[in-house]
Amino acid sequence: MKRPPKLLRLGVLVYVSILIGAPLIFLFQQAFRRGWGAFWAALHDQAMDHALILTAKVALIAVPLNVVFGVGLSLWIVRRPSRLTRILDRLVDVPLAISPIIVGLILELAYAQNGWFGPAIAKLGWHVMFSLPGIVMASVFVSLPLVSRQVIPLLRLLGDHQEQTAATLGASPTRILFTVTLRSIAWAVIYGVTLTLARVIGEYGAVLVVSGNIALLTQTLTLNIGANFDNYNAYQGFVGSVVLALVSIAVLLVLSIARQRERRRSEYLA
Amino acid sequence: MSISLNGITKHFGKDVVLSEVSDEVPQGSLTALLGPSGSGKSTLLRIIAGLTPLDAGHVELNGRDVTDVAPRHRNIGFCFQDYAPFRHLSVFDNVAYGLKVQRVPKERRKREVEELLGLVRLEAFADRYPRQLSGGQRQRMALARALAIKPEVLLLDEPFAALDAQVRGELRTWVRNLQRELGITTILVTHDQGEAMEVADRIVILNSGRIEQVGAPHQVYDNPSNEFVQGFLGPTTTLDGITYRPHEISLGLSGDRGTPVRVTDVVRLGFEVRVVVEDATGESSWVQLTHDEARQLDPQVGDSAVVRPRSEVLIFR
Repeated sequence: MKRPPKLLRLGVLVYVSILIGAPLIFLFQQAFRRGWGAFWAALHDQAMDHALILTAKVALIAVPLNVVFGVGLSLWIVRRPSRLTRILDRLVDVPLAISPIIVGLILELAYAQNGWFGPAIAKLGWHVMFSLPGIVMASVFVSLPLVSRQVIPLLRLLGDHQEQTAATLGASPTRILFTVTLRSIAWAVIYGVTLTLARVIGEYGAVLVVSGNIALLTQTLTLNIGANFDNYNAYQGFVGSVVLALVSIAVLLVLSIARQRERRRSEYLA
Repeated sequence: MSISLNGITKHFGKDVVLSEVSDEVPQGSLTALLGPSGSGKSTLLRIIAGLTPLDAGHVELNGRDVTDVAPRHRNIGFCFQDYAPFRHLSVFDNVAYGLKVQRVPKERRKREVEELLGLVRLEAFADRYPRQLSGGQRQRMALARALAIKPEVLLLDEPFAALDAQVRGELRTWVRNLQRELGITTILVTHDQGEAMEVADRIVILNSGRIEQVGAPHQVYDNPSNEFVQGFLGPTTTLDGITYRPHEISLGLSGDRGTPVRVTDVVRLGFEVRVVVEDATGESSWVQLTHDEARQLDPQVGDSAVVRPRSEVLIFR
């Protein structure tokens, strides 16, 4: 393959450096400017730790929800197409198109004390707004299509001959689901999971609206970072950002492995 | 294991795919479902397997009505045109799949899979994955996988269509021999009449969801029941308003008995020579000559000649 001209390569390099490289270096430099001891101490900030745990909790609930929903929806759309699934197929993309702030406002409109379902839910003794369920709902909402968008094209590509063959070999529908269908889409699901994880951990706008952003209660890690910068506690904010960046890098690593596996698979399919 | 089909009817929306198809497939036979695309042959195969529900009719396997029986309880071996290998499983595990479902103990399973891999000559490929196999190897793996459950019936959907010409020829012969060796009742779907003639001992010709004719290969070829069958099974040409196969007509020297014609084209294909002729009314037909005949007559474009049916018997058709 012909290499792109030198000037173009240099241009790309500068562009990426300005956009990603320099800020990342600056971030790490800021977080470690007071040395390891201070960094270690900042890691044990009570509000940040609580926020980190809350984010982990949200991710642990939202990601499995999204996987079950995403895989189920994909199977429904691809394997049992109807007018309804065509509408669903389009509807599921809505969260990608609208701003997270609006997602938050929609949820508030529906579930706040004076919202549509708010009073009914309050009667049951449940709290959605300004508590964990609301944060989870907002997170699931914004990451709704991330699993199904990976799985649907692969399911279409694979077709259903493997499943039908398994059926003629005597396998029950449940057995087919676990030994054939889920096995053949496993890497696409993992890819979708990493995307969902990244989105859930990094979500700010929608969660800001529904959580109320109360430190030590409903503050997720991104909200905690934002609050620290707002409160002239930039150092703590940088430390939180480093934690978030490290998680993202780990997610990216898994993503690149999943991508490689997927590519190998599709080469065979081609 | 015999298969009996009674009045199989299938619609897709308003389209009639199969219309009251009935047939008795004898035990141990290799039947080819032959027809052009859209004739309903693959749908019929899927209905026999239970993979496609039917609108009316009955499917019986050895006298047992299986019309409402799920595919997994029919004990059939089914091979798709694309072989549908389990991509995430090794060749060994692909073949073992059905045995695992049947909870065959590990030791016996291993022995049986190894036997089957030997049968399809894939012993050396047990640990490979489907993506590492050639098309022909994948097809043999799919066959071994289907045979593992000791099916009463083997159903093959266009088994050779995805292979290149040389491998296709080899595999046809191999599959035919294997089927005779095992004596398993087999139905094979194909759109290739040459394939059906070569492999099958019984041909069912389908057209627009109906059976046109059923018979042994030479029967349907020599005594086609209608023009569709005749045209589908091989090339035809018309002479004096009657349809013939090009090898059923002979070419003679001008002045001989026969219809006077003018030679308009000569195509030499090595083993055969096609001579295109035109009669006085401008109607065109063609004659298939053997290499030797062509050398004797040496037809040239523009020559005057005569054509006539080779056998008087044909005239009565």
